[in-house]
Amino acid sequence: MNVAVNRTPAEAAYIGAGALVASDRKRREAYEQFIAKGLPHRRMEDWRWTDLRQIINTAFPPALAPSAPVMDKNLIAQSPFYSIVRARLVLVDGLFMPGLSTLPASGEVEIASISDMMPPWLSGVLGTGSGHADDPILSMNTAFMAGGVGIRIAAAATVETPIEIVSIVTKGEPRTLAGRVVLVVEDGASAAIIETHLGAPGAYVNSSVTEAFVGANARLDRLKVQLDGEQAIHLANCHVQLKEGAILRDCTVTQGGATTRQQGFITFAGSHADAKIAGAYLLRGKQHCDTRLVVDHRVPNCISREVFKCIIDEAARGIFQGKVIVQRDAQKTDGKQSSHGLLLSPTAEFDAKPELEIYADDVVCGHGATAGDLDEDLVFYLRTRGIPLREARALLVSAFAAEAFEDIAHDQIRDRLEQLSREWLQRRIEQ
Amino acid sequence: MLKIENLHASVVGRDILNGVDLEVRPGEVHAIMGPNGSGKSTLAYVLAGREGYDVTEGAVTYNGENLLELEPDERAARGLFLAFQYPIEIPGVVTVQFLKVALNAQRKARGESELSTPDFMRLVRDRANKLRIDPEMLKRPVNVGFSGGEKKRAEILQMAVLEPALCVLDETDSGLDIDALRVVADGVNALRSPKRAMIVITHYQRLLEYIVPDRVHVLSKGRIVKSGDKSLALELEEKGYANFERDAA
Repeated sequence: MNVAVNRTPAEAAYIGAGALVASDRKRREAYEQFIAKGLPHRRMEDWRWTDLRQIINTAFPPALAPSAPVMDKNLIAQSPFYSIVRARLVLVDGLFMPGLSTLPASGEVEIASISDMMPPWLSGVLGTGSGHADDPILSMNTAFMAGGVGIRIAAAATVETPIEIVSIVTKGEPRTLAGRVVLVVEDGASAAIIETHLGAPGAYVNSSVTEAFVGANARLDRLKVQLDGEQAIHLANCHVQLKEGAILRDCTVTQGGATTRQQGFITFAGSHADAKIAGAYLLRGKQHCDTRLVVDHRVPNCISREVFKCIIDEAARGIFQGKVIVQRDAQKTDGKQSSHGLLLSPTAEFDAKPELEIYADDVVCGHGATAGDLDEDLVFYLRTRGIPLREARALLVSAFAAEAFEDIAHDQIRDRLEQLSREWLQRRIEQ
Repeated sequence: MLKIENLHASVVGRDILNGVDLEVRPGEVHAIMGPNGSGKSTLAYVLAGREGYDVTEGAVTYNGENLLELEPDERAARGLFLAFQYPIEIPGVVTVQFLKVALNAQRKARGESELSTPDFMRLVRDRANKLRIDPEMLKRPVNVGFSGGEKKRAEILQMAVLEPALCVLDETDSGLDIDALRVVADGVNALRSPKRAMIVITHYQRLLEYIVPDRVHVLSKGRIVKSGDKSLALELEEKGYANFERDAA
């Protein structure tokens, strides 16, 4: 392999980890794929706003087997859902820690660690969730995965209580920590999964990949809340496959980290499936969050909705790239996308790139993007009712974010997210 | 209660009000009538404190205080309420929550204790009942997807919950059919009290058949050109505004 051309110190560190992956064929293939392309950079169309070659500008060597990480248990309590959720799986530096976890009581839920001794339901699907094997975040994660967890919801089971997966990075050291989550929701089953990311204040790379398999007439409610450390680089993929009649309600909330690149690949593999992908950004300082969604309608009669509400303050930057593909056979597709930036400062920036690729002729597809400041007419209206300026603005900002939380079925979790956005705003006001 | 003296105001550099004089006492209902462009809405916005409506001359005193120095929310806490001609939609803010935040913000500003959720809910349900408002509407975001009539009724509901001392109704009749108009007028009439004053701004005499004013003023080219009792409204209906505009010139 030719590794001589213009490698950055960060890329050199990844290349140098080759010995760690040599013994495993899948890792080795992913590693080769990853280093052949190197870190994605701005001359690649999908990465034009997020040049990882510039952003990851020093070595973050991968930590494949962080031997028995020590962790303060109180860190787990930093999860916004700590007092609400009764089933919690803890990943520390990418490794699943059953000892720190509270396993779901239901016999219809199976939990397994991603390791050499996986049960067949997990080993059989691990790594098969994506049709995008050459995606750099995916190949990096596959090559350097420390571990992770698989959850299987048995066919026809309805799991009422949400299951939280808390991923914690213990030390803000220049390392790359890669964890994997596999969600198998069998036919007719339903479950709510929360992925919460927490981390130490120093710089690190958090590489996170989720593969979700949603069976026929099954339902997955997935919420990801990113509260990584303030200097963290968060690189996350979510690959979802939906079978016939499946329902996906996905919401990602980005508040932590210095740089976030998150990607969602939603594939309609069975007709009459229905997906809603929502997102909220709460960004300030020099934070940067770039979401790329690829919604692939391969079969007829499916519905997709994307709603992103991005609140951007100070010199932060939010990016939304949403692609909807309607394949030739995907007649009667109903796909709509909207992204909205609320800019709270003149130096805040929001970029939106909607893309529709339609090969079928009988479809309803649309997209809309807006960016702007708070509507002063609304502020005035609230003030004429006696609500002071600061409170009026706060109320409108959290109302703006709330649309992204609309489809969260669990009231307490939705309330908690609304509280999260109010608290975020409160910190701005106190400054 | 309210004293407007020689009020001049401009909007983006254009003079709209050219010396308005008006005095309103507790318990009185004043109607301000005038053609389009006479400055009716500008007067309402100046009273409510909207940005961009600059007072260039004159004074407005409210219960002995200089109203023009107060922020819009301070005016509201002191009992001023503006019912908008075009009530604004607020996506993401549920009506009942909005009313609670508004009422408690006003109570707080007045040094009163905040209302508990059960007490507040009782109050809102009672007021909604009286205005024949479906309680389901309270669960929807403020004015979002409301019909024209529902929006106006929601404004009156806000008024009934906030219990202001001085209500300014800016063309509350616009866009209402006769049934909706009656419901809104009944709501307004139910709020009439010896302590509460109202300024009803309207283009047409029709509303004044239902909300009978004590005084009627004709606003033309930014000035009150004629004042009288309720019969003035009928005279206007008959003769039109043209005569008065000539008087103003």
